[in-house]
Amino acid sequence: MTAARRSGEIAIGILPIALVIALWHGIAMSGIAPAVLLPPPAAVFARLIEQAGNPQFLEHVGVTLFRLFAGFSIALVVGVTLGVAATGSKLIESLIKPLVRVLAPLPKVALYPAMVLILGFDDASKISLVVADAVFPILLATWQGTSAVDTKLVWSARAAGCSPRRALFTVVLMAALPSVLTGCRIGLIISCIVVFLAEMITSTDGLGYLLVRAGRNFETVDMFVPLISISILGLTLNAAFNALRRWMLRGFSEEG
Amino acid sequence: MPRISAIPGLPPLIAAAGLLALWELAARTFDISGLPPAHAALREVPAILGDPEALLNILASIRRMLIGFALALSFAIPVGLMMGRARLVAAFFNPLLMIIYPVPKAALMPIIMLWLGVGDASKTLVIFLGVSLPVIYHSYQGARAVEEKMLWSAAAMGMSARARLLRVVFPAALPEIMVGIRTGLVLALITMVTSEMIARKQGVGDILFNALAMAQYETVYATIVIIGLLGFAIDVGFECLRPRLVGWADPVHEIAVVGST
Repeated sequence: MTAARRSGEIAIGILPIALVIALWHGIAMSGIAPAVLLPPPAAVFARLIEQAGNPQFLEHVGVTLFRLFAGFSIALVVGVTLGVAATGSKLIESLIKPLVRVLAPLPKVALYPAMVLILGFDDASKISLVVADAVFPILLATWQGTSAVDTKLVWSARAAGCSPRRALFTVVLMAALPSVLTGCRIGLIISCIVVFLAEMITSTDGLGYLLVRAGRNFETVDMFVPLISISILGLTLNAAFNALRRWMLRGFSEEG
Repeated sequence: MPRISAIPGLPPLIAAAGLLALWELAARTFDISGLPPAHAALREVPAILGDPEALLNILASIRRMLIGFALALSFAIPVGLMMGRARLVAAFFNPLLMIIYPVPKAALMPIIMLWLGVGDASKTLVIFLGVSLPVIYHSYQGARAVEEKMLWSAAAMGMSARARLLRVVFPAALPEIMVGIRTGLVLALITMVTSEMIARKQGVGDILFNALAMAQYETVYATIVIIGLLGFAIDVGFECLRPRLVGWADPVHEIAVVGST
């Protein structure tokens, strides 16, 4: 793709976003919708910039980020380990397969009340929900990726004197890295979404709580700020992860 | 265990039974009021399903889910297919979708409630939004991968652009679209439950949190079991339907984006 064509496509891509904001501005200005229901975009973005320097707001962002990464890290370790183990051992596979079949289609949010009952309203229940939601894409991607690895690679490693378990992690997992990382990216975005929802459902602190609190007080401007923040957060995480992925996969010929 | 796992449906059943046994065991060992034993919760399931008010609530939830789902399909599949065939359309929609993607759709509930009220309209709209994204994405991927030669042959035989989209691109992309539909189905259920948990007016999510507030923990767990069964039933139903529609294609092993809202 040539540079000119690419920049042309970016320009076309900005168009609908500009249109949405213009439409939003137009409706807010025309007075069809009162400012209580739809604040003008300028007010929302001004508030967002103002809040970005507010330590209290940043504290809530910090709480959300902590839960997000705590949950994601646990899901990452559990998902990758189980995924590799399922490829490595027939016994573990026959144990995990039916469990995944039963648990994967279950809406994890429904488990949230149970987690609240068992673990309380604090971080633990919210982090558990993130883990429950993020672990499946990572587990499935690792499993599919590792089971598709060419067996010849393992044979050569074994012939070179590598133990079966070591070969599993140093050869098979590394060869399956593109697939594993795709699963991780999906898991990361899911964590982002789920942590926000958990904070909205039983709100004590975090970005989701800010949205619910603003909603209760009919402060519409403050309702938009957490929503835009979570979108920016998700985009940033996605971009950062893509950069990390490109760096980790620099040895691979084809990018998925 | 090759013989046992050869019977379809049996391993998941054993797994489910194992989970229930584990639950029962954990409840008996820890003995906390927040975790009632499995048998006590399961006894509540028929009671909830037998209660006409609760049943109507659940059916109303399912109706909203189906309406939102159907609307999303009729909107998202054409948009996705057009994005896959026309560069301009793709360039137009892609950045917008990227921005919307990380926003939890159920989180829009409070704002949409301000505009449309707490009724069916806002919940259906949220479900519509939640389902649309994965379906658009997979229809787009499917349409992009359609072999050009088939389109050329169709064009050479005098098919109009619209007919090509409907009769060549759509069937060719169907296996991939089905992946999107499956993700969309799971998302529809999740969004339905979440939006009801946030709006707390009626529906399954409301039953769940009402019971929680009134410390009827058996009812909480029974409702979770019902939602779980619903999710499993949808998944199994879909698996039965797929071979009839796209039996000719290899089963696509796609990472299910289960769980995002």
